Amino acid sequence: MSADPVATGADDAGALAAPAAVAERPGDSGPAIDCSDVSVLFGEFCALDGVAASFDAGAIHAIVGQNGAGKTTFSRVLSGLIVPDTGSVRVHGHELRGEGVGEARALGVELVHQHFALPPSFTVAEALELFQTDRRRSPFYRRRELESGWSEPLAALGITLDPGARIRDLPVEALQSLEIARALVSDAKVLILDEPTAVLSPPAADALFERLRRLRDEGVTILLVLHKLREVSAAADTVTVLRGGKVVLPRRPLEGVSHDELSNLIVGSTGAEAPLAPALEETPAEVASGAHTLVVRGLTTDAAEGDVALDDVSLTVRAGEIIGVAGVEGNGQRPLVAAIAGMLQGKSGTIELDGRDVTGCSALERRTLGVRAVPFDRNVEGVSSTSAIWENVAILTALKQGRFWINPRRLRAECAAEIDRWQVSYRDVSEPVGSLSGGNVQRVILARELTDGIRVLLAAQPTRGLDVGATRFVRENLRALAQQQAGVLLVSSDLEELFELSDRLLVFYGGRVVAELSPPYDLATVGVAMTGGGK
Amino acid sequence: MIDFLNIGIQAAIPIMLVTMGGVIAYRAGILHLGLEGLMLIGAFAAVAVTIRTGSVALGVVAAMLVNAVVSLLFWILVDVLRADLYIAGLGLSLTGVGLTSFLLEAIFKTQGAVHAQSGLPSVVGGNRHGLLGLFAGLSVLAWATPVLVFGTWLVLRRTRLGLRVSAVGEYPFAARSAGVNVGAVRCGALVAAGIFCALGGAELALAAINSFGEDMAQGRGYLAVTAVLFGAGHPLGAAVAALFFGLADAVGIESQLSTHHILPVQFILMVPYVLTIVAISISSAIRSRRGAPAVFAELRES
Amino acid sequence: MISRDTVLRAARSALVVLAAFAIAGVIYQITGYSLGQVFSGTWEGAVSAPGALDSSLRWAVPLLLIALGVTIAFRAGFFNVGAQGQLYAGAIAALLVGVWVKGLPTPIGIVLVVLAGCIGGAIWSLVPGVLRAYLQADEVITTLMMNFIALLLLQWVASGPLKDPAGSGQADQTRSVADHLRLSDATGISLRIVLLAAVATVAVGVLLNRTQFGLRVRVAGRNPTMARWQGVDARHLAVQAFMLSGLLAGLAGAIELLGPGGQLTYGFSPDVGFIGIVIALVGGLRIGGVVIAALFFGGLHAAILYLPIVTNLPSSALDLLNGLVALLITISAVPAIWHRRRRRAAESSALNTDVPRVEVSAAP
Repeated sequence: MSADPVATGADDAGALAAPAAVAERPGDSGPAIDCSDVSVLFGEFCALDGVAASFDAGAIHAIVGQNGAGKTTFSRVLSGLIVPDTGSVRVHGHELRGEGVGEARALGVELVHQHFALPPSFTVAEALELFQTDRRRSPFYRRRELESGWSEPLAALGITLDPGARIRDLPVEALQSLEIARALVSDAKVLILDEPTAVLSPPAADALFERLRRLRDEGVTILLVLHKLREVSAAADTVTVLRGGKVVLPRRPLEGVSHDELSNLIVGSTGAEAPLAPALEETPAEVASGAHTLVVRGLTTDAAEGDVALDDVSLTVRAGEIIGVAGVEGNGQRPLVAAIAGMLQGKSGTIELDGRDVTGCSALERRTLGVRAVPFDRNVEGVSSTSAIWENVAILTALKQGRFWINPRRLRAECAAEIDRWQVSYRDVSEPVGSLSGGNVQRVILARELTDGIRVLLAAQPTRGLDVGATRFVRENLRALAQQQAGVLLVSSDLEELFELSDRLLVFYGGRVVAELSPPYDLATVGVAMTGGGK
Repeated sequence: MIDFLNIGIQAAIPIMLVTMGGVIAYRAGILHLGLEGLMLIGAFAAVAVTIRTGSVALGVVAAMLVNAVVSLLFWILVDVLRADLYIAGLGLSLTGVGLTSFLLEAIFKTQGAVHAQSGLPSVVGGNRHGLLGLFAGLSVLAWATPVLVFGTWLVLRRTRLGLRVSAVGEYPFAARSAGVNVGAVRCGALVAAGIFCALGGAELALAAINSFGEDMAQGRGYLAVTAVLFGAGHPLGAAVAALFFGLADAVGIESQLSTHHILPVQFILMVPYVLTIVAISISSAIRSRRGAPAVFAELRES
Repeated sequence: MISRDTVLRAARSALVVLAAFAIAGVIYQITGYSLGQVFSGTWEGAVSAPGALDSSLRWAVPLLLIALGVTIAFRAGFFNVGAQGQLYAGAIAALLVGVWVKGLPTPIGIVLVVLAGCIGGAIWSLVPGVLRAYLQADEVITTLMMNFIALLLLQWVASGPLKDPAGSGQADQTRSVADHLRLSDATGISLRIVLLAAVATVAVGVLLNRTQFGLRVRVAGRNPTMARWQGVDARHLAVQAFMLSGLLAGLAGAIELLGPGGQLTYGFSPDVGFIGIVIALVGGLRIGGVVIAALFFGGLHAAILYLPIVTNLPSSALDLLNGLVALLITISAVPAIWHRRRRRAAESSALNTDVPRVEVSAAP
């Protein structure tokens, strides 16, 4: 969780203000939207657990939490897209009967999605028309007629978009505008935006907030799902915090809560003191003179992996070092890991492992030479959930050895021994890996990747979604790995983690390294660099 | 030449009708491999009811009803019970062949063909000369086909309903966000496809030969699938492709009658399939070069 | 020991087959055929009548080989439905070589012809395989198209260059291969054929379970994204999987040529390709299951040919039955409540990641 730098003027260092009683404004007929005891289960996984919340009309409410805390699920429940397994949602007092989005939209609730709900081959006009529910005079339309019919409402909203343009040709900001436009065009009374700033630059985000404020003044209730604290202060009137599917801070006016308190609530650490003290005051001398394990020079790639292009990235990981990579997601971390792992071909630049040029080597060759990875999404990229545990572990050994034959019995035994060493709790190595808990899956991945021959580990969000105990286990092992003179490249959204573990910290923005810092790390500096201010 | 075109059009009409059904399903996100079976079921129902009731009109209506029910069952199989679309589609085609052949034998006690006493009326009689010869013997359904094709295009491309169908096929998440009932749309699309296949089957059986024979579709249903793919789901494009393929079919028929061979007829008949492979390959290559848009999640969710 | 997974798979397949039998049985009964006669006739035709077992095996062999190939492709995550075309391609290639090498002594000649069949099928499968590997062209479409092309190719061969000069004229037939090159007599089954099939079965089983290739197939087939992170070359894997499945279908084609007939008829074994796919699914994509399913459905086919002696049930009844099995075999969520949960499970993985979800393929 990135604890963002403080916006100018806001006071974050102060003690907790006394929690203000959440008073309804006189004359309110009740909250614009509220819910009680809402739970949503995806199979075994509980995304929302007994959530109760209420949001009064005519204000901007921020809903914050880490990735995986349930924010998107929550916004989808409120908008009717997901029908909760328990509990109920009320819009202006009317209870949603679980009939889906149409019901909620009829009551004036509109959801602006994080990943746009716009079919790529549609034109702007067609996309807007798709969401229309009023009656048309005639079911048939002419294309030109449709487009000219929509240019007026768009202009009225102050959005300059060609109604005939195709969705897939539009840049991201335009899509954002369109996504919001289609919500506004339906005369929304409650507007829910899910991470709207994830794809916007800071000035564009500010413009968005300005527009939202104007809407609020016109009486629209706005729910903003965010995870950057800076934006919360900039945009919202109240804040609600979700963590692990539960509400840990019911709607609180922003004046009544400090950044630190918010941070702690979001991340889950106890105590009001900021636990951001770095573990290493200074880089120990032995490591500084260590051999260069991984050297990346001038790496440039195309946009890939759903992320931006890398632009002339250079970095060095020495033996025994943990190099942290900080940055808002979507600023090049994925192509970085993919390129070093060998899954993405760079346009230019070189990669060296232990002095040897591996730029032309395949992913498998690099793995054999010692490049290992803990991927961003452990369930999709790290393991094959429906495959057996031993298959997930043995795939590395088998590929590395490169022999034609394999001995499943021996591989199963070896696997059992390995994961026992890593204290994985399991029933049988022939069971599918998907039956294990998140922490155990991560242990299996570590058991597989941290085998002999490892020279550098690309650890991408290794503790995301893990409980406290598993998180600590992973971090300890990263340190231990470094002590064995392997190198670690740690990509994380958790600044606390980065500060604690990194011997040096790189900050990525827009596909470039914009800052390279040594401990002790200063939150303000890092935060500024993460939002592009460090250039 | 006129004769040849006339044969070509007659051969193409059933394929075009089935193709329209395939296009509707395709736009809802379903590559329907069961068209062959549905065509046969429709043809059989049309002929059987015509024989039993003496009315061709009833036969056609019965065919549409039967196919609607079969398509509904198919939808349940694929969307509710989550059967694999392709295997179930091919299974439907196989079942269609098997069931109709079986019923042909069981009900009419013949393994060859059963004849109806009458067929679809034609607008212009046979044996005409000059330009009129082009339309000689074309049934009412054949005349209705261009209207149906145009109507399909109109609904799919120029109405809100069509937008909803396209959204369901391309990006179900967007459709759901717009309040569209994805399952209902897919069901409707499948039923519509079934009805078009019924019309195609009825035309095949009752336009000229007035009979149903075992496995009489002879792969036309799959040819329709090919036309749908080749037209990339665009109603007019697919219809033109179907017309084209139908004409090629006529070449096949022609060459059995004449002795002029420029190219072995089979190679001409291969053309639709080869072209489709090429077209698919090109469009895949373009798509991978363009790269999937990063901000669109859950495209083509199951 | 038999694992829980195996038991579940077997139960599911058995249920589906039973359901298909039930539906078909109802249809037969309604249309006036005596079920009792049908069942006893089936048993006779498949097992007890003289020559029944031979006949059952004869029909089981091509189904088995195709199903083995399909198993490899499906488990690797590729929807190769082109077995029919690959069978034809193999048969044509085998015929070409068979006619060409008729002077060669028996063992060499047979080996060459069988090899030609394998290579023909492999090449036919290679085209869609390469297109899939390098262009991500949808293999369902391309293999389907290749099926039709192969059928037309066979028709051309049978009515043109390799036309049987002594042909009867009803259906186009090709020339025959020399008698000494045949693998069996007209019954279509012989020890050689059974041995070939057995060797192929063991080979595929070993390949899938005891080789690195098999491990790659199994892991990449269930999660290609994860396999990519592990350094598996997806393109090589695709090409290899397609080639192997085509090879096996081509082998089936060669055996169809060298066994029962010695010559090819246009449109022979019209559905064996698709039925083979269904068998692979009924067998749960496991070697043991596939063998059992192939024997079962081979027996059914033999029975259908025998039934006219006992009852007048037409042979299309088998197509009907097979079609019903195909319709039902891929049902994956029977109770509606579970369906809702599974849909939720699919949604959840998308919601819990920050990037567009990549499809994780799970073998049925």
